[in-house]
Amino acid sequence: MLELRGATYRYAGYAHPVLHEMDLALRDGEIVGLVGATEAGKSTICLVASGLAPLSIGGELRGEVLIDGQPTTRLSVHELAQWVVIGFQDPATQRSGVAATVFEEVALGPMNLGLPVAETLARTRRALATLRIEHLADRHPARLSGGQGQLVAMAGLLAMGPRHVVLDEPTAQLDPEGSKLVAAALRDLAATGAALLIAEQRTDVLDRLCDRVAVVDGGRIVLDGPAAATLEDPRLGGWGVEPPARVRLAGALAARGLPSLADLGWPA
Amino acid sequence: MAGGYLVPIALIAIVLACAAIAGIVRRLVRVSLLLTLPIAISVILVSALTRPGETVLLVLGPFDITLEGVDFAGQTLVRLFAISTAIGLFTLSTDPRAFVFDLERRGLSPRFAFAVAATIEAVPALASRAGVIAAAQRSRGLDTEGSPLTRIRGVLPLVGPVLLSSLAEVEERSLALEVRAFGRPGRRQLLWWPPDRPRERVARWLLVAALAGLVAARVLGAWPAIP
Repeated sequence: MLELRGATYRYAGYAHPVLHEMDLALRDGEIVGLVGATEAGKSTICLVASGLAPLSIGGELRGEVLIDGQPTTRLSVHELAQWVVIGFQDPATQRSGVAATVFEEVALGPMNLGLPVAETLARTRRALATLRIEHLADRHPARLSGGQGQLVAMAGLLAMGPRHVVLDEPTAQLDPEGSKLVAAALRDLAATGAALLIAEQRTDVLDRLCDRVAVVDGGRIVLDGPAAATLEDPRLGGWGVEPPARVRLAGALAARGLPSLADLGWPA
Repeated sequence: MAGGYLVPIALIAIVLACAAIAGIVRRLVRVSLLLTLPIAISVILVSALTRPGETVLLVLGPFDITLEGVDFAGQTLVRLFAISTAIGLFTLSTDPRAFVFDLERRGLSPRFAFAVAATIEAVPALASRAGVIAAAQRSRGLDTEGSPLTRIRGVLPLVGPVLLSSLAEVEERSLALEVRAFGRPGRRQLLWWPPDRPRERVARWLLVAALAGLVAARVLGAWPAIP
């Protein structure tokens, strides 16, 4: 389980905290979405949940971040990376820039861990298989589409063997086809038992993917519940969050006195 | 006088022979000429026009072009070309990644090895980014074609965005590397390194011995300097 307990975080050099008394828990196999307006604190939550804040980027953290009951502050960054990893929105910045093939790129993490060659190869093959990108193994990492690049970046994280995966807007730079690829891969990943925390602007992605959604506003979680119900909450607009398309369509139909999609026999 | 040319020309011949074996003679000559030409022009101008000597070949205004000056320029040029072809042969025939992996296998810090490899690989990435930014700026009316002055004026507005966008990515790139245990101390287990065949080892040690011998000969005065 990945837990934030009363987490308050202030970036180095900032006068005030960006996160306030945050409580968030992810069970194994659960997919939790984070949604909120720009600058609400979603990315900061991702950095704190992954332990990089404050271990790597500095700043001040009060409260606790626990992985299976162990505080993350007791681990070094490379030790932490075997428990929880974080992916960012731009696949290009997550490329090492030194790998000639996707296989090498994905194998980089296990190599850095000093694992035996056989273990590195096994983890790399497993990561590629989990995300169904074995066919990309011989391709150059710089010559992939956005969606493929993001999947390769995720495979590189999976090869670290983490228990939990944090993703900060993984579909931000992707077209709809790329987003579908990534969403399908994330579902498969959760099925292996990993807990996923996904920060996203695109509520449609979270609607399809998440078990739970937490709404972030002003560095606090203001709503946390089952994905479907949370994304139908009428207060979302006030928090700067656009509801998913199905909710907007249902609202538009209702406003015009038209039958709902369910009444029309539209599949859920 | 000829003694100052023999060894550099012999070295150039050896390098070109190696380049021929590697199938990169034309590329090597082109790259070496490009590298050497700017310096060569200044060497010729400075040495030929200003170096004092007894035999005046030509008088150009206030300058006497002497045989000694032309000879000095010639000897310097063949040495420059020997250096540039040798460096060119190394860079054109060596896969940077193989080079870095081999250094790491022999004890170089993985982080330093990564820094070298990433720097080498960053050049085409920067060029690609510059191309994208140039296309974007051209769509906004920036003129990058035409006279040299127009081209220079067109390139200058690109420098800032290319550098700034590269710098902006630095933190995220660093974090992405840290998450993949880049900062872990100690050696890492490489999946691959270039093979080291016996004849390559012999050639390597012979070259080291030749280098040591040449340096010793020069220090002991057995090898003459350019007069």
